[in-house]
Amino acid sequence: MVEMARENEIVESLRAKLGKDLIEAKLQKPRRVFVTVTSSALPSTVQFLRDSHDMKHVSTITGVDQGTEIGVYFHLMGARQNADSREIVLSLKATTPKTDPRLPSITATIPGAVLYEREVHDMFGVIFEGHPDLSPLIVPDGWPASLYPLRKECTIDFIKGEISKVQGGAK
Amino acid sequence: MSESTFTVPVGPQHPALKEPENLTFSVDGERVVDVKIRLGYVHRGGEKAFEVRNYNQGLYLVERICGICAMAHQLCYANNIEALHGIMVPRRADYIRTVIAELERIHSHLLWVGVAGHEIGWDTLFMYTWRDREVVLDLMELATGNRVLHATNAIGGVKRDLTPEMISKISKGMKHLEERVRYYAAMIPQEKTIMKRTVGVGILKPQDAVDLCAVGPTLRASGIKRDVRRDDPYSAYDETPFDVITHGGCDVASRVLVRVGELFESIKIVNYASEHLPSGPIRVKVPINVPAGENVSLVEAPRGEDIHYCKSNGTDKPERYKVRAPTLANWASMATMLRGGYVADIPIVLAAIDPCMSCTDRMAFTDVSANKQWYWTIEELRRYSANWHGK
Repeated sequence: MVEMARENEIVESLRAKLGKDLIEAKLQKPRRVFVTVTSSALPSTVQFLRDSHDMKHVSTITGVDQGTEIGVYFHLMGARQNADSREIVLSLKATTPKTDPRLPSITATIPGAVLYEREVHDMFGVIFEGHPDLSPLIVPDGWPASLYPLRKECTIDFIKGEISKVQGGAK
Repeated sequence: MSESTFTVPVGPQHPALKEPENLTFSVDGERVVDVKIRLGYVHRGGEKAFEVRNYNQGLYLVERICGICAMAHQLCYANNIEALHGIMVPRRADYIRTVIAELERIHSHLLWVGVAGHEIGWDTLFMYTWRDREVVLDLMELATGNRVLHATNAIGGVKRDLTPEMISKISKGMKHLEERVRYYAAMIPQEKTIMKRTVGVGILKPQDAVDLCAVGPTLRASGIKRDVRRDDPYSAYDETPFDVITHGGCDVASRVLVRVGELFESIKIVNYASEHLPSGPIRVKVPINVPAGENVSLVEAPRGEDIHYCKSNGTDKPERYKVRAPTLANWASMATMLRGGYVADIPIVLAAIDPCMSCTDRMAFTDVSANKQWYWTIEELRRYSANWHGK
């Protein structure tokens, strides 16, 4: 059995802190942990991980289309035991319904999340409440409203069709 | 902002490099007060494209995210898919991957030092480092068959072995480059042309670098010791001795010095890994269908931490493939570095994170005599390629 004491310690402390707000916790392998929490517990969990486990670095935020819901992963890094030890990647996940996707923004706790939340907003239409500026980061000017390219129902042909409509209108 | 503030749009034509993004500066006289970032001018929908290609096709697509850190992206991808398969690649392949990845870092850092020289109007340095960079590119061609887009990795190992002749040529090349880098390391801190334009320019304080989640040489030049090769080792980095280079100056000069220091470390790693190549096979066979699961994979690309996430569903295509290249991670810090600085320093501060916006998504053809220009779509390009190969 591989030693995962530090990983286990983090998960146990989250269990104690969150209670039933912790939906699922998985110790995948050394240095890889996946935790799912309720969306309302998201900001306090990020703050707890930052302050109690030195997880100050958000590597990126990934959106995943799960059918009726959108899963959003916040890939956090840190939790060194000493200056030379290795880091742990904790992928913190919350889901939100596709019909009205909303999650609290974590930018107040980790300012480095600011562009990643904008990117997920562009690609999946998730509104991060409390984000300073969710204006388009990646999609071009004149991109059709409510066309979220990484959602599964937006096939490449569908996207092509929608864009040609907009371009046709502009001529 | 006060009445004396003006708005200056910069871009999408890049003020420093040959790639597009848009920055809206608020300036008060010669001072930058604020900046707003707009990206996506060369967004090619890569993440969507992974979902409609099988894992082997993805291996080639992922390289094309970036021509400079092609190896870093492909290695991150291969690690990711191998982890989902639950396999370990042969140790010899790990060492070969380490050699190629560090050769790539040497090429990227030499390229960058040249570009930095160019941005401050000193093109001699650009000529020097790009001449030296040819040595690495030739070694890349020798070892992988290609100067860029090396196609080194397979899912399950590497495609080409390193022969003793190759290793001796690599070692000779490293010896030459070590001398050259020693020259740069001695010259740069004494060279007024560089120091006057970079010391105290584009300040990123350690606390800001951490809060804004900066990565790579940009972060390490603010004195923070973080490097994926040490913090989350992959390939042969857990067995290879090297130092993580940091500098406390927090300015563009520090970003130059960190990269020069890293050149020495990369040469050290290339030498060590090529001298300690374990014997054995270089590749294991893996099925095309990947078991359902999810995995996060990280690599220290030349510009910093590169992170990929993959969700597989048991088929030969990923359910979701996410890529975050290091440049995006450093954009958030960029605004902080530019604020309070001079307009004239914008190009070198921008260049100092070594930004890579990506390459173009289609090919443009120009017929000068007919004064005509047209584009090929990927389908037309594919058809042309199929016909050409069919001949």
